[in-house]
Amino acid sequence: MADVVLRDVRKSFGSADVIKGVDLEARHGEFVVFVGPSGCGKSTLLRMICGLEKITSGQLLISDENMSEVEASDRGTAMVFQSYALYPHMTVRDNMSFGLRMAKTPQTVVEERVRRAAEILQITHLLDRKPKDMSGGQRQRVAIGRAIVREPKVFLFDEPLSNLDAELRVQMRVELSKLHNEIGATMIYVTHDQVEAMTMADKIVVLRDGLVEQIGSPLDLYTSPDNRFVAGFIGSPQMNFLKGQIVEVAQGAARVSVPDAPDHLLGIPLRADVSVAAGQQVTVGIRPEHFLGTPGGPGLEVSIDVVENLGGIAYAYGRTVASQDVILKAESETPPQSGMSVTASIKDEYCHLFDGNGQTLSMPAGALRTREAAA
Amino acid sequence: MAEMTSTSYQRTMSTRGFYRKHKLVIMPFVFIAPAFAMFAIFVIYPIIQSVALSFTEWQGIGPKRWVGLDNYRELWGDRVFWTSLVNNIYWLVLFLLAPVFGLFVALFLNQTVFGIRLVKSLFFFPFVVSQIVVGLVFAWFYDPAFGLLATILEPLGISFPPILADENLATFGIIVAGLWPQTAYCMILYLTGLNSVNPEMIEAARLDGAKGWRLLVKIVLPQLRAATFIALVVTVIGALRSFDLVAIMTEGGPYNSSNVLAYYMYDNAIFRYRMGYASAIATVLFAIMNVYIIWFLLRLWANEKGAR
Repeated sequence: MADVVLRDVRKSFGSADVIKGVDLEARHGEFVVFVGPSGCGKSTLLRMICGLEKITSGQLLISDENMSEVEASDRGTAMVFQSYALYPHMTVRDNMSFGLRMAKTPQTVVEERVRRAAEILQITHLLDRKPKDMSGGQRQRVAIGRAIVREPKVFLFDEPLSNLDAELRVQMRVELSKLHNEIGATMIYVTHDQVEAMTMADKIVVLRDGLVEQIGSPLDLYTSPDNRFVAGFIGSPQMNFLKGQIVEVAQGAARVSVPDAPDHLLGIPLRADVSVAAGQQVTVGIRPEHFLGTPGGPGLEVSIDVVENLGGIAYAYGRTVASQDVILKAESETPPQSGMSVTASIKDEYCHLFDGNGQTLSMPAGALRTREAAA
Repeated sequence: MAEMTSTSYQRTMSTRGFYRKHKLVIMPFVFIAPAFAMFAIFVIYPIIQSVALSFTEWQGIGPKRWVGLDNYRELWGDRVFWTSLVNNIYWLVLFLLAPVFGLFVALFLNQTVFGIRLVKSLFFFPFVVSQIVVGLVFAWFYDPAFGLLATILEPLGISFPPILADENLATFGIIVAGLWPQTAYCMILYLTGLNSVNPEMIEAARLDGAKGWRLLVKIVLPQLRAATFIALVVTVIGALRSFDLVAIMTEGGPYNSSNVLAYYMYDNAIFRYRMGYASAIATVLFAIMNVYIIWFLLRLWANEKGAR
C-alpha cells in the first residue's frame, strides 16, 4: 500500500513553472529522500504534500485519499522545518502539544503522547524550558517531537539538519534513521546533501528543474545512474567525466577510446535499448574511487595539483594530458605529492558511458556487471 | 621571552596605576557624563523648578510670592481643572484604540501584493505631517457649512452637527483627529514587529491547525509583545500630553468643554500670566504621567534582568 502518491503534479507561480509534472509513490514505512541542487523544486514539492502550497494541477493521494484540496492541518502530515519554527513564547511541553490542543484532544491523551515522544527523543528533562534556553540540537529534537505527538501518517522533513554543525549533523542523521526504524512511519526528507540522501534513504528521488531525474535506492543511483546529471550529483567527490569516442560496437558492448589514455581501449557493455555507432562522441564517467592505484599500467597520465588527505582516505586533484580535471582516490598513508605525475589505470567494469545528451548508454557499473559478465 | 613580556607589562601597570586598574569602572561614567549633564540641565532642573514654582504666585515678571498649597487648593475647586482631567481620561481610554487599529492595519498591509508599498506610504502619511496640519484638516472636515462630512451627509438628508462647537462632542471630535496619526504610528511599530516573525513558524502553526483568530492570539500576538509594549507606552504618553490638536481645533472651547490639562496649563501661563497656578497643573499632570513612566521603567528593568 502506498502512503503518498503523486500523479503528474505541477506547480506554477504565475508564469514560472516550478514543478513540471512529478509522478511518485512512497510506500508505507518508506524513507524517501528528495535531493537536488538548490532551486530544483524539492522544497516546493514537500510543501505541496503538506498543504502549504496549493497544487496547480495533478493529484495527491495520502493513504488512498485525494488530499489536493484538504486543509494543511487535516492531511495527516507533520513537518519539521529547517529553522525548527518553534514557538518562542511557549515551553517545550506547550510547543509539542499545541497542535493537539488546537484539535481539542483530551488532556490525558495529550499528556501521554507528549511524555512518550519526550522519552523517545530523550528530552524529558527539557519539557519546561523555552526554546531560547536550548542548543540547536535540542531544538531540533523538540521540532521532531512536535511532529511525533501528532502521530501523522507521513513525516515531512525540510532540510532539518542544515542548521546544525557537522558533528551534530552526523549524530542526528543516525538518530533520525533509528527513529524511523522505531516509529515505522513514512518519512519524506528534503536535502541538498547527497551524503544524507545516501545514508538515510530507502528511496532517493533526484530532482532537477522541477522534474524527476531518477528514482531508486541509493545503491541503484550510485551504480546505475540514468543520466550524467544523476551520476555527477550522487557520490562525493564527484564522478570524473572524460571525453571519448566509440571505436567499434560488438556483442552489446562498445569499445571506447579516451584521448587522455591513448594506450587503453575501454570495453563497456551497453544497455539493451540504446543505439550507438562507431565514431560517436561520448562521455566516459569514472568515480574517483574506481581508478586502480597501481602505477605503470596502461591508463590516465595525471599531473597532481592538490592532495587532500583525510587520514583514512586521500583525494588527489589533478589534470590529464588533455587538460581535463580529474579527482583520484589515493592511498592515505603514502599519498601522491602535488606536482607529481601518476598513472591511474582504469577498471573497465566501473566505467559509465553517456551520450551527447547525457543519457546513460552503459550497463550498471561495478561488481554487478562483473558477475553478469562471468555468467 | 615570555617572562620578559610579562615584566614589562607589570611596569606599565604600576606607572599608570589607578586609571589602568579601574578603567572598566571609570569609562562608563565618562561616556555617560555628557548625556547626563544635558538631561540634568534641560529635564531634571526644569522639573524641580516647575514644582517649586507651583507653590508661588508669579506673573512671569516681578516678584514671586510664596503661597504654599494655595494653588492646589484652588485647583481642587476649579471646575475647568476637573473637566480637563476627565477629558484627559477620555483621551487616554479612547487613544488605546490606536494600538488596536494599528495592529489590524499592519496585519492588512503585511502582505506582498502589487502596489503595497504605495498603500503603506499612504497609511504612513499622517504620521509624517505636523499635528497642526492634522488639526486643521479635521477642523475643515467637521465644518458644518462647507466641510467634507457635511457636504457628504446633507444630500442624504442627515443634518450634521457642528461637532467642534458642541460642548458634548468637541473632545471626541479632537480625539478622532488624534487617533489618525497615532494609529499610523502604532501601525509602523507593528509592521516592524511583524517583519521579524519567522514565516516558517506561522506555517508550523497552520500545520498545527491554528487559523484566523486563534493563530493571531496564540502565535502572532505573543511575538509582537515588544511592539505592543512600546505602542501602549507612546499612546498613553501621547494621550496625556495632548495639546496641539486642542490648541488648533477648539482652544479648549466651547466653554472649556474640550480642555485638557496640558492646554489648560498653557492657557493659564501664557494668556492669564498665572505661572504658579500653571505650574501646579503641570505638576499634577507630571504625577499622573509618572505612574506610567514608572511602570514602563520597571518593565524595562525586568526585561534587562531577564536578558542577562
